Amino acid sequence: MFSKVLVANRGEIAVRVLQTLQAMGIATVAVYSDPDKNAPHVTLADQAYSLNGVSAEETYLDSKKLIALAKESGAEAIHPGYGFLSENPSFCADCTAAGLVFIGPNSDTISLLGDKIRSKETAIRAGVPVVPSSPLWEPGETHHQGFLSQWGFPLLVKATAGGGGRGMRLVEREAELLPALESASREAASAFGDGRVFLERFFPAARHVEFQVLADASGNTIHLMERECSVQRRYQKVIEETPSPALDRKLRESMGESAVALAKSAGYTNAGTVEFLVDPTTGQYYFLEMNARIQVEHPITEETLRMDLVQWQVRIAAGENLTLSQNDIRSSGHALECRIYAEDAYDNFAPSTGTLLSWQPPHGMGLRLDSGVSQGQEVTPYYDSMLAKLVSWGADRQASINRMSKALENFPVVGVTTNIPFLMRAIHHPAFTSGNYDTRFVAMYGELTAPGDNGRIDAAAMELAEDFWQASVPKRAGTRTTGQDRPQGPWESLGRASFP
Amino acid sequence: MSQQLDNSQAQDNPPTKNERLLKQVYPPTRSVDDLASSQDTDPANPPAAEHPIQLLKQEQDYWEGLYRLAQGKTLRFQAHRVGQQVHIWIGGELYHFALPVSSSRGRTTQRISTDEILCSVPGVVLTVDVADGDSVVEGQTLLVIESMKTEQVVKSPRDGTVQRVAVQPGDRVDRGMRLVALAPLEKT
Repeated sequence: MFSKVLVANRGEIAVRVLQTLQAMGIATVAVYSDPDKNAPHVTLADQAYSLNGVSAEETYLDSKKLIALAKESGAEAIHPGYGFLSENPSFCADCTAAGLVFIGPNSDTISLLGDKIRSKETAIRAGVPVVPSSPLWEPGETHHQGFLSQWGFPLLVKATAGGGGRGMRLVEREAELLPALESASREAASAFGDGRVFLERFFPAARHVEFQVLADASGNTIHLMERECSVQRRYQKVIEETPSPALDRKLRESMGESAVALAKSAGYTNAGTVEFLVDPTTGQYYFLEMNARIQVEHPITEETLRMDLVQWQVRIAAGENLTLSQNDIRSSGHALECRIYAEDAYDNFAPSTGTLLSWQPPHGMGLRLDSGVSQGQEVTPYYDSMLAKLVSWGADRQASINRMSKALENFPVVGVTTNIPFLMRAIHHPAFTSGNYDTRFVAMYGELTAPGDNGRIDAAAMELAEDFWQASVPKRAGTRTTGQDRPQGPWESLGRASFP
Repeated sequence: MSQQLDNSQAQDNPPTKNERLLKQVYPPTRSVDDLASSQDTDPANPPAAEHPIQLLKQEQDYWEGLYRLAQGKTLRFQAHRVGQQVHIWIGGELYHFALPVSSSRGRTTQRISTDEILCSVPGVVLTVDVADGDSVVEGQTLLVIESMKTEQVVKSPRDGTVQRVAVQPGDRVDRGMRLVALAPLEKT
């Protein structure tokens, strides 16, 4: 086992990985950018090194700095977390070349899975159903005509190297196709250095269900059940749950076998996730992509299986074999994750920054918070807007929803606008509570993103604000007269407040 | 520990529309005045307890406590004052209140102007696509701001000429900051 590991990330995932490493008795090294100097992951680690910079490019994405610091600190391995360099094959290869263990799959596997066409071919070879797609598009060529006549519109234009919605276009009509292909290709070329694009069948009412996989270097590969991830905004997940309300036993078995077959066919080692689209009308599922990293939403799997996935990542990377077989994997109860984003759901999920005047997470049985921030900390615009993940566990789905509901209601966050009110509405929405929802959920129900009528709570807030203001502002100011020709409120003289 | 808030005039006689000092600025919502009046006469939702506010912590700029609604339901709340802003957190919802904008003493209320393009989101300027003196058309991209990994495209609100670009790539910008000034439209 390693004696020292560097965590090349920030925020909640850095904290999460550091905690597991420390519980395993491994010495820990954190890295930080200038704005993160006092962040929780820095204080938690045994050692912390400055990356001397502000932007992601000059800090958490600077592979040379990270590798040099790992060597300097005496770390034997690097845990990349998710995002940043976690799925960068060159970083992985550079670590290996520098004599460091990259905690994840090898660089060839990362390259293979990062290419949508090659990963699809791998899935087909493994007998896994894939979303129908056209050959690569080339200007002036007509070899996508077969795809068009079979599937027609609407369809998706996708970039081979795309991700996070970049290089992707929904095309409704033939006339929009060529411009969409050209612009997606341009966007992907500038964002990923690879402008190859293709057409893919579009499922308007699909569900997004993924399977967690664990594989060791000896070829033992198992799956750890599914996660339902259909509540999304801007192609990013917001709420995840397991088990998925969309799967029955037979479908779960079949998808799980497909996930394992794909991981084996790709030569996968370590923890990974196989993403599928499920068409709820037919029960048919299609391979979408495989993520070669620990996922944001891994805690719900940990809660229902009572397993530490990060510990398995470290053990596998250190050369240990799995001590579990597929039959040992038994899920218990239901877990729900809500991602707490610093964003305004009433303003098209616009990011919000500021200082956390209040950050007081709820505690109790069946609750877990993976957080990368603390009270008093500044939330800056430089990195991702996810502050934390709140996870609830219950004996059944209703129990975990109820527990989540009370937890969200009792989580004071002040100073930065968060999506907590949106999350409260979402988990109580009939479409969510019924379990019968798909990826259109957020867009379909405008009441989730419109300021609601909270009746007496709105009135209570107003009353509290008035009482508090009167008590908070020194009384003498209230007696000042302004000499204006009309009666004036005493506080108007204080000027206009500017609000985020 | 806890103390009952008493002798507050506002308690016994909730402020009416004309007496209120603060204005709700977030969430953007229909008027709380309409809301309060409609709720007070709602027979299915009787008024809250006579002294609904129980303070557990009371500092100059911070209150924490419980708010009793009707039918025994109690919500936790926090009140924070930052300068002239009041943040109220209650039962998972967040509110901002501020003083109403004064229209007296020469301070004009916010003029709707298309001459100045202000920043609507905190972030870092990624690209600047125009320069001083450029002609632009409505909807043309002026610059792109990156905020928390999301790109926000700032477009021109009208046809015109760029008088001054106030930022350059790499600048950190905040809400309300001036990004670009367009030459004022000539009055004809």
